[in-house]
Amino acid sequence: MTDVDPRDDDYRWQDTAISAGLDRLVHVLDAPPADLVERVQFAIALENLDVEVARWERAGSFAGVRGDRPGTVTFTVDHLTVMVSFTPTGGRHRIDGWLVPPGQHTVEVRVSDHDSTTTQADDGGRFVLADVPAGTTQILVHLESVHGEPSRTIVTPTLML
Amino acid sequence: MSELRTTETSPPWEGLEGTDRHAACLVAARAGDRQALNILVAELSPVVWHVARGNGLDRPTAEDVVQTVWLALLRHLDRLQEPRALVGWLVVTTRHEAQRSWRANRNQVPLSAELAEQLPTESWLPEDEAVRVDRDKRLWAAFSRLTHRCQELLRLTVFNGRADYRAVAESLAMPRGSIGPTRGRCLDSLRAQLDSEGGSR
Repeated sequence: MTDVDPRDDDYRWQDTAISAGLDRLVHVLDAPPADLVERVQFAIALENLDVEVARWERAGSFAGVRGDRPGTVTFTVDHLTVMVSFTPTGGRHRIDGWLVPPGQHTVEVRVSDHDSTTTQADDGGRFVLADVPAGTTQILVHLESVHGEPSRTIVTPTLML
Repeated sequence: MSELRTTETSPPWEGLEGTDRHAACLVAARAGDRQALNILVAELSPVVWHVARGNGLDRPTAEDVVQTVWLALLRHLDRLQEPRALVGWLVVTTRHEAQRSWRANRNQVPLSAELAEQLPTESWLPEDEAVRVDRDKRLWAAFSRLTHRCQELLRLTVFNGRADYRAVAESLAMPRGSIGPTRGRCLDSLRAQLDSEGGSR
């Protein structure tokens, strides 16, 4: 890795002012958030790694729900939409959710440094978790098996609640 | 697996660097070694982050995309034919996710890969307080007007340092000999932007 290809020799490398500026931009001004690695490591610390990722849809008025504000977030994957709303209840949260299309799937909420909370959606796809601790939160939907097929698991990126 | 390992046995990636190290971690991760997976996340998340940012995503969306890419890798652990191609897979997947986010969040016609490379991004400024120095603002504004391809390349080459050109070339799928000249042209553009701003040097 240490060999130098002559094609790389380039006077522009001598431009230390620009190089220092770029270095500052990448490592200081736009460095990744300090807790990003930790959040990813939490997000992937799953028992079963054969998961499908639901993407966070930020379009619309609920875009960018962050921090301690209550709000509604929508995650989608090809065949499932997960809508969740969070209501703070004195340092903890009530989670109201809705799966579309509906199904009596098992919904698991992981919060870092806490045990998972699990519930089952009703036949309309609705679920409620009345008392969830605050923290880095991830939602898993374990799809109910149909016709005895092995069920799949949907996971979301983490939210900070 | 990993808990059965005795203290005398060093992990297979120990002492390795760069692509060799990450390939060894990937092989171990496939066998169920969570520590190896965590090392990959710790060492390669900055690359994923800078590709996401270099492709025009704002910081919150880039954070989501970094997570999405790593979660997507879980299913692909066994499908990656060549462990040494991991960084390349991460870069390509991140670009793909970045384009998808553009579409979803901005309600725009999807950008073709070619157009996306040529299109200067708007100023996706980091938090205002982070760019409080005037010189930083000028640098940021100039950098933001570069093409996605230039932003990506400059971010990754600063990040990796000169000795890792080969790894950068592999991850960007560029011919190795074209990295230096392309980077040079990107630096020329950046310098021209800075000069037209009234100079910052």
